[in-house]
Amino acid sequence: MRGKLMTDVLSIIAAAIGNLDSVDNTKAFVTTAVSQGLPAADIVERGIREGLEIVGQKYEAGEYFLSELLYAGSLVSDLLGILKPLMKNQQLETKGVIVLGTVRGDIHDIGKNIFKMLVDSAGFEVHDLGVDVEPASFVEEVRRSDPQVLGLSALLTTALAEMKSTLDTLGVSGVGSSVKVLLGGNAIQKAFAREIGADAAALDAVEGLEICRKWAQK
Amino acid sequence: MITPRERFKETIRFRKLDVLPWIENVFEETILQWFSQGLPAEKATVIEFEMGRGGTTLLNWPAVKGFSACSYFGFQTLYGCIVPVDVGPIPRYKQRVLNETDRHVEFLTETGAKARRSKSGKYAWYSMPMFVDFPVKDRETWYEYRKRLNPNDPRRYPKDWNPEGYTRAFESYQDGNTMLRCNGFYSFGAEIMGIPTFNLMFHRDPELIRDMIEYWEYFTVESVRSAVETLKDRIDVVYWWEDMAERHGPCVSPKLYKEFFLPHYKRVTAFLAKNKIDRILMDSDGNINPILDLIVEAGINGLWPLEVNAGMDAVAIRKKYGNKLFLMGNLDKAELARGGQAMMREVDSKVPVLKEMGGYIPGADHLIPVEMTLERFREYAEYIKKLLPFS
Repeated sequence: MRGKLMTDVLSIIAAAIGNLDSVDNTKAFVTTAVSQGLPAADIVERGIREGLEIVGQKYEAGEYFLSELLYAGSLVSDLLGILKPLMKNQQLETKGVIVLGTVRGDIHDIGKNIFKMLVDSAGFEVHDLGVDVEPASFVEEVRRSDPQVLGLSALLTTALAEMKSTLDTLGVSGVGSSVKVLLGGNAIQKAFAREIGADAAALDAVEGLEICRKWAQK
Repeated sequence: MITPRERFKETIRFRKLDVLPWIENVFEETILQWFSQGLPAEKATVIEFEMGRGGTTLLNWPAVKGFSACSYFGFQTLYGCIVPVDVGPIPRYKQRVLNETDRHVEFLTETGAKARRSKSGKYAWYSMPMFVDFPVKDRETWYEYRKRLNPNDPRRYPKDWNPEGYTRAFESYQDGNTMLRCNGFYSFGAEIMGIPTFNLMFHRDPELIRDMIEYWEYFTVESVRSAVETLKDRIDVVYWWEDMAERHGPCVSPKLYKEFFLPHYKRVTAFLAKNKIDRILMDSDGNINPILDLIVEAGINGLWPLEVNAGMDAVAIRKKYGNKLFLMGNLDKAELARGGQAMMREVDSKVPVLKEMGGYIPGADHLIPVEMTLERFREYAEYIKKLLPFS
């Protein structure tokens, strides 16, 4: 019986996030789950992340768009704010490590930040280097944190050459031989990623998350 | 003799004259690059005589106003003669540098945003800055900002605004369209709040968004009223800046568009229609396919630039919407910049068929970027101009 109650409240949390319910309602469901004695890690894994999964599916199906994605992200952020203090002795499973940044010469970060919010909520550990990042800084961080994914972002077409410079610098350095390189941002096309030897290009944040998940499973 | 203005006007009404207009807009950084590649400066520099030093001396003096390559290459610019209504915040924020590092400059813009630009790019000043902070964050800051949006502020029109005089002056202009510019409901909100916050507020504080959009409808109609009611259909086209989509689709879902925007669009377009202005061109980058039905219902009947990289296809839209939408652009700028066969394939796949269907003005699917060299643009210009005559 208790197991069923737990499953019910987790499903309710997932559905609330998936349906973009109000902040107050969703917080109340999470508080209920906590009061029922559910471990915070379970609420995150089986409630919140499931909800985010629904949002991603609706985004890919063309029901949700940027506005809905941003709200879902902010909602999840609020819920994690409630749960993280309760997780002192519980470890969340990390899906993988991602080093992320906007390449040198480009200072735009809206798309990068949306992607960061999604992968962070989905359980990846994100090392965000910010904008206008030198190739050597990417290499240094890959050396230091040994990520599964290196995410390079660019909005300006004039910054595309910097993506290749970053890959070249990484290649010369010899570090991160197993790191997968994911390109993102409005300037990016899939053919360009193939052209410069990146492993993939994501045309939006949700696709980027899916690619990271697949890579993390391998 | 048929004028460029008549060609534009008739084409967007699905009529065919002698030659199809060809419209391009070129980033100034591209023109700067073309100068270094051999574009003769005297052919592209726009100089106007005016009273010197901002009107502080009676001495008439030639002032460089910028660069335009249209007459040199033979295209029209989209922005012909613009009706001079100031729809910005009055008073303006005083633009100034806020701080500076060896790599970036942060500055306050005239609309009150804080923006950062890189110092490292070749044409850094022209590159799109990154907006890092916005003047409107919540209800309180919106009410404060709104004080600068008084539609009846006399400074919205030129000091010499005389409707009849301006009508006569416009009548003599035939080099291109006469355009009234409006800022759309999404673009207005995103511009003063920032894209993330504005999009979030549809869910976090929908009443604030309703208040902002309702006010923007009032402001838009009242600020342009004098021009619209005087000039009426001497205004050839209303340019509705809306930039509300990215590659995946519109930033707001069709559901939100219908609930928050549609009724306000309808009231503005009805006001324009009542004054015999019936051509409204929406400028939005990105993929707007999911909301096209609603855009048509809103009273918009023209689209530019139809970004290919985002999945916009002018031929498919023409087939689906017939004469409900005139179309401009949609030639993939990346393919045009490749030149040669790639450029010709792109032009050939669209221009002849859309020319035949009517209601289409060819051009790149956005401003011409720096990737387009002068040599490639010359090649493209020569090629496309052969396809423009109807005979």
